[in-house]
Amino acid sequence: MLELRAITAGYHTKAPVVRGASLTVAPGESVGLLGPSGCGKSTLARVAALLHRPDSGTLLLDGEPVRSWRHRAPRAQRTAFGVVFQQPRLSADPRLRLTDLIAEPLRATGRRGGIEERVCELAASVGLTPDLLDRRPHEVSDGQLQRACLARALALRPRWLICDEMTAMLDASTTAALVAAVEDYRATSGAGLLAVGHDQVLLDRWCDRTIHWEDVTGRTTPTTGRLPQASGRRQPSVVPPAGER
Amino acid sequence: MTCESPSRPTWRSYGTDRRSTRTVRVRLSAVLVTAAVLAVLLVPPLVRLDQQAVDLGARLLPPNWSHPFGTDDLGRDLLLRCVYGLRVSLLVGVVAAFTATVIGTVVGATAGALGGWVDRGVMRVVDTFSSVPHLLLGIFIVALFRPGVWPVVVSVALTHWLSTARIVRAEVLSLRSRPYIDAAVSGGASRWRVAVRHLLPAVLPQAALAAVLMVPHAMWHESALSFLGLGLPTHTASLGTLIQGARGSLLAGQWWPTLFPGLFVIVPTLAIAGLAGAWRERINPRRRSELML
Amino acid sequence: MTSRPPVLSVRGLSVRFLMPGGRRIAAVTDAHFDVAAGECLALIGESGCGKSVLASALLGLLPANAQAAGEARLGCLDLLTADERTLARRVRGRLIGLIPQSPAAHLTPVRTVRSQLEETVAALTGTRGRAAVRVASETAAERAAFPTGHLDSHPHELSGGLAQRAATALALVGGAPLLLADEPTTGLDRDLVDHTVDELRRHVDSDDHEDGTGRALLMITHDLMAAERIADRVAVMYAGRIVELTDARTFFGTPGPRHPYSRGLLQALPQRAFTPVPGMPPELGDLPDGCAFAPRCERASEACTALPSMSGQVACHHPHVPEDLRA
Repeated sequence: MLELRAITAGYHTKAPVVRGASLTVAPGESVGLLGPSGCGKSTLARVAALLHRPDSGTLLLDGEPVRSWRHRAPRAQRTAFGVVFQQPRLSADPRLRLTDLIAEPLRATGRRGGIEERVCELAASVGLTPDLLDRRPHEVSDGQLQRACLARALALRPRWLICDEMTAMLDASTTAALVAAVEDYRATSGAGLLAVGHDQVLLDRWCDRTIHWEDVTGRTTPTTGRLPQASGRRQPSVVPPAGER
Repeated sequence: MTCESPSRPTWRSYGTDRRSTRTVRVRLSAVLVTAAVLAVLLVPPLVRLDQQAVDLGARLLPPNWSHPFGTDDLGRDLLLRCVYGLRVSLLVGVVAAFTATVIGTVVGATAGALGGWVDRGVMRVVDTFSSVPHLLLGIFIVALFRPGVWPVVVSVALTHWLSTARIVRAEVLSLRSRPYIDAAVSGGASRWRVAVRHLLPAVLPQAALAAVLMVPHAMWHESALSFLGLGLPTHTASLGTLIQGARGSLLAGQWWPTLFPGLFVIVPTLAIAGLAGAWRERINPRRRSELML
Repeated sequence: MTSRPPVLSVRGLSVRFLMPGGRRIAAVTDAHFDVAAGECLALIGESGCGKSVLASALLGLLPANAQAAGEARLGCLDLLTADERTLARRVRGRLIGLIPQSPAAHLTPVRTVRSQLEETVAALTGTRGRAAVRVASETAAERAAFPTGHLDSHPHELSGGLAQRAATALALVGGAPLLLADEPTTGLDRDLVDHTVDELRRHVDSDDHEDGTGRALLMITHDLMAAERIADRVAVMYAGRIVELTDARTFFGTPGPRHPYSRGLLQALPQRAFTPVPGMPPELGDLPDGCAFAPRCERASEACTALPSMSGQVACHHPHVPEDLRA
């Protein structure tokens, strides 16, 4: 069970990006978190993946409160999460070949034997052909790189997957392929999923249930640090359409 | 509207002009740097002439066939003196620049990677040092020692790591917030592994470039310190001491003892800077991504 | 629609990159299409299929290691042979208005929208005098539905929608007959995508252009929903070639596209089957001699080892025909 209770988090204590957000993902469940861009849902995803310490609130992992984040968190706890981010170019170390990129979590956790076989297996599961594995990130397309990032996230067989706008930059076919790869993994491993996104049709199709950002934060207005900004589905337009001014 | 009949041209290329002038500049720089390095490495062991050989009968000769650069006020051959001077200046420049870069990289990377109070403390020290004009600080440091090559190296190195530390720290800070570092943390990487595997390799090319760019700067510093009479002892031929020694003759209308050592300072340093500039364009990620479709 | 003379006429446009080691990357191969005034052509395809390179070629922004062939006529001017001076003084902004991918990054961060708009007005329209420029730039802002109250904001103070309108206002200033939108909706929320696209459509339809004909819009996108909302015609690009060029209504509605790849793309949408096209697109540096889609195609046969030519609307040896679509 992954439970976030009244999480407040951000990058300046005086202006938190997320205020009082609560959310639960049961084991094996897939939850879609739907919100407009800039609302703070990515920050919440990072809190859930033990990558960002919240200012207040509780994160319960199988009933146990989490007390430390990032490097301070026990390695077994950190690696229970696989994360995939929106922009594959920023999520991949530009110096590593795809095969090293995928193998990095295996090496970082001290795995010695069988790395090569495991990388081949992972690459196949996300639809990467072997000839691509010798390339560096700038030699492959966004879609291919995102496949490698997903393979890296699956390398340590995480119990939870956090996909933060995983497909926002990708075309329809690659989106469908990546979602299928995630679902294949979940079907065999029983992992839970938190998929963050802004495309309701996609999340409805992908996840067991979809929750809206304003329901997670108890209808508090999200602070974005920007001027007028769409704050959710009930207020679809940012500025009045041209004719109505 | 009527258009002229469409011609069927074959492949046309774009933007070749800029590239070719750049190539010429880079090649010229490469040739000059190679020539300078070969000269300082090969001339002393191969040419069995004493650069200190005084010939009072040949004082202040203008350039001629047996002395292409002329002679100085003690009748020493200026071409030979210039090559020996370049040797000392290059040595000082390279050693000082690389020492400064290593100090700067270690300090900057530590501050950026650890953050918190370490970062704040280190950066205050950097600010303090930066608030003193670095030539002044350099003069202060050389003044503590007897004149010689090593005090100059130490002085230049100790006053030039600050900017490298700043650049490296800023780079590390910006890298630290990249999602790929998040992904590494989530993949179980330790702090050490993140630093060695992801952060250092990313800043090293920048740091190495900073080092090369600093070589000419350090050579100028050596010349300046020696010119002020604080750097190398006057009998050691360095480009700075040569120019300093020529001051008197310049006022008497003898231009060659100033001009040739001056050119030996300016030309190799510009050539090194030119090569470094080309290298910077190479490692610039935007150029690499030109082909991303 | 097709009776109007084309604003942009592309014939046999090919772009290739010469790589170190003599490798050649065929980014665009033999593209033919027209865009008429008052019409929107959507160029769709997966990332890496060459559609952005095509846009760069039209704007004369290809990198130094690129080579181009064929022609792209804008009136009597061939964009591919025009020199940099012509492109800078006559084409960019005046004949082609570019609507960028990320408007917030396209605007200068340290200057207000008003100052950027005024500069563009002064540079492109020849309006002189402070008061006249000010009025003209406010008119330009209104044309793109950018609220004049926000003109003194800096780009970072604008929401995504307003930044998009500011960028559109800049693109419209020069009265360019052709608008080129390069992935204008990437990363935007669905509501904002719909808004952006509807406003672009308004500029295509409106007759505020000097000829009273509306503008031509070439929109490059991988967002099929946005394309469906805006386009009159759709060109599908695969591995550097346009494999299908057809009417948008038949493409997105019934009977649907005819090329197996186009059908696969549509079926990948979460609104439809949500099944990916199997496999991945081929390398542009290592294309097969025959149909590039054959390795991923369930209809592939012996015939597909030969390159299919563009016949009518589709370049395929085994296109879906209306009869078997009905079955």
